[in-house]
Amino acid sequence: MIVSYNELQGLCRKAFSGIGFEDGDAADAADMVAWMQCHGLHGVEQLNRGLDYLLEEDPEARPRLIYQDGDLAVLDGQGHSVLRSISLATELGFAKARARGLSVVKIRRCHNRQLIMGYLSRLAGRGMNITAFWRNAQMPLTEQVVAFRAGHATPEVRVYSVRDVPEENEPNDGITLVMANHVELLPSLGADHDLDLLAHHPESELLACRQLALKEGIEVDDAIWARLKTLAHRILVESSDASRGGAGAGDHDND
Amino acid sequence: MTSADLVSAAPLGLRSADEVMRLERLGSLHATRLSFVRSLVRQMARQRWQVSRVRFDLDAEGHGTAIYRLQTPHGRYHGVMFAQPLDDARRSDRVIAEAWDVTFGLVEGDVDDSLLAQMAANVPLQEAGRQHPRVLVLSRANKSLRNFAHFAEALARGEQPDPAWLTRVGYLYRTTAVYGNGKFGIADFARLLDNPDFRRPFSAQMAGVYLLRHFSIEQVEHLAACRSPDTACRLATELRRYLGIGNSTGLGMAPFLINHPQLIAQWVTQRETALTLALRQAPEEAERERLIALTRRAMQHLDETVTEDAEQAERNAATVAALPDVLTWLASVPLEADIWQQLVEWSARTLPLEAQELINTLLIELYPDQVDALEDRMGVAENLDLEPDMPLMRLRQLIETHYGWALAHDYASREGAYWFWYRSAEKEEPRLGVRHAEPGAEKEMPIAIGPRVARTHQALCDFLERHPRATVVDFLLEHPRHKEVVRRIQTLVREPYGDIHANLWHRDMKPMHLLRTKLSFFGASRFDPKSDRWVRITLFQGAPLVEELNAEPQDLADFDDWSFPLEPARAGEAGSIHGRTGVAAQ
Repeated sequence: MIVSYNELQGLCRKAFSGIGFEDGDAADAADMVAWMQCHGLHGVEQLNRGLDYLLEEDPEARPRLIYQDGDLAVLDGQGHSVLRSISLATELGFAKARARGLSVVKIRRCHNRQLIMGYLSRLAGRGMNITAFWRNAQMPLTEQVVAFRAGHATPEVRVYSVRDVPEENEPNDGITLVMANHVELLPSLGADHDLDLLAHHPESELLACRQLALKEGIEVDDAIWARLKTLAHRILVESSDASRGGAGAGDHDND
Repeated sequence: MTSADLVSAAPLGLRSADEVMRLERLGSLHATRLSFVRSLVRQMARQRWQVSRVRFDLDAEGHGTAIYRLQTPHGRYHGVMFAQPLDDARRSDRVIAEAWDVTFGLVEGDVDDSLLAQMAANVPLQEAGRQHPRVLVLSRANKSLRNFAHFAEALARGEQPDPAWLTRVGYLYRTTAVYGNGKFGIADFARLLDNPDFRRPFSAQMAGVYLLRHFSIEQVEHLAACRSPDTACRLATELRRYLGIGNSTGLGMAPFLINHPQLIAQWVTQRETALTLALRQAPEEAERERLIALTRRAMQHLDETVTEDAEQAERNAATVAALPDVLTWLASVPLEADIWQQLVEWSARTLPLEAQELINTLLIELYPDQVDALEDRMGVAENLDLEPDMPLMRLRQLIETHYGWALAHDYASREGAYWFWYRSAEKEEPRLGVRHAEPGAEKEMPIAIGPRVARTHQALCDFLERHPRATVVDFLLEHPRHKEVVRRIQTLVREPYGDIHANLWHRDMKPMHLLRTKLSFFGASRFDPKSDRWVRITLFQGAPLVEELNAEPQDLADFDDWSFPLEPARAGEAGSIHGRTGVAAQ
């Protein structure tokens, strides 16, 4: 079915509230999904893939700070989706970069990592240069790098495979964020490396996707939509004759 | 630099948020010349918008399809109306209704057969349909049965209806929802941000309502002509102009006000800026006379306004009773350069709130050259952003400085936490429940900001005891549930008209004030509460007609002068409306 951006964002927000997200987290998570979807990066599919995990997560478990100093922080994402409260880990990097010029934040053990782009877009819009890096798969080894220019809410995205896999190739289920207050950190792939570029989404292409989504609507799978509606229904209070009076109006208006 | 730029460069003199954002004052606001219906009519006239009828397939009962074209210098739009029979048992103004007398959409671009078929299958279903992404506005309306019957009968006889009917109820149709911004598949508002016709908030919705007003006139004339082709006449111009469109509104406006604080701040800021600009003017005698004339007109308008609601009737009467003193004051006080400042200071001391805000509205009305540019500043990019590196002590100070109102309430008492707001499973209708008596409080909508700020303040004070040098992000990593309130506070201390200073849980809280706040910015008049949380109002009553717009008015100031409309004289009276003022409708 075709839905609008606002509709997608609104339903996701209600669905996340239905899952038990705090108010702010539900809004952020909905923004992340809708942002990805309207930029052609399959946010709804990403969400659907992680939805069963989300429903199982302990809502009280939050990213745990393992180490931090002035420029650097390491957090344990506790194996959770980035949707629930990863925003604060990124805000920590933002705060450090503002104070020190450059920061590095490593978030270990998290999934649905693609979706973090939607929140990084907001940080970039607030004037921060950001590069996010993670590995998608081990065999073949693929890496993804997402880079935002300060003041630009749309990034450049590159995904590539590494042919010359290092011997030490431990699973990487984390994200590394580098933020710089003043310096652009754009992902220019080195020509000397043995890489296969699998996907390249320049800023202009992603912006064009957004324009098209606003013009023609956004295609969403009916089954996923129905599932989100079911989750959103959890925040509603069942109606009764008594509650109908809670809106303060009569039932018929034939005057 | 315009006057508006000067004020925003030096915003001294705006009233404090503690004064303006008190719920009782917001609930006393009147429409101003910056209200959305007024801005739209000015824009339409200035840019020579044209409205034409391209389809009018109605049967003898007035049911069928009508399409109106709206041509602007930048684009072309169509209002597509579907009028259908409706069983009285199904006619309800509530959002839980499932059928209406008229449903309609405002479409960007042309309407070909395929789009019309898609709309015919979906627009009448409203929320239950899937709407086309070129539809900018989706709405529906129910008849005022009494007015409709009276008008059709009178016109069929060749007589003009009694204008008093329109004073009691100022419309033939009242909308029960006017959807924009992506609802049910229609176009997102973000798509309109580059559109010079409808980039202002709610301007597309108001244009849709304006076309419905025109349709309501043509439909009732058509009905009269079908009933009695030999005798039927058209509605007199004075009555057409005196006919608006109603709107029936409930608690749904409350979550909007709370969930869009930056937008509300923007609207209130423009209104307050306009007031400040007006107060800075040193008037000539002509302006004083104009204010006296406007006050007389508003007084008569409010005196004529009918409502069965005892409290609103009392407020109207109190305003009407206060205005002779204002007229006396205006006539007797020497014309000094700061006379408007003296007036508002005097009115703050002596007049009821609604009368005070009426004076403010009328002062703004005096100065189109100074204030009208503010209408282009009603929109805002909404982002409640965190400042994670802010020292937590600073946040505490900001809360204590700007949110004293939130900290002053007792949220633990039964009275202080009496209501909870929720959405019903029945079409998500917003409702109020009594916390200790009704089920559902665990699913409360978090729109009462006061208790949330107080909770956050308590938590951060405790945190500061242990970590006096902490930053905001340090606190939030430990207490993430406060993120939303923290970023709201950090944002709104820069935009202080964003939060309404009231405990929305309190037993004595009046939801009607919330509704009126938003409706005043739309340009509503004739506030007619039907309960403490349900109101009918009128839009566009007195507004220029489509045919007057199409005639490309030369005197734009005169075209714009339609606030506080008065009942036209009856047949037989001086300046009366006679029957047979035009040919029978087609």
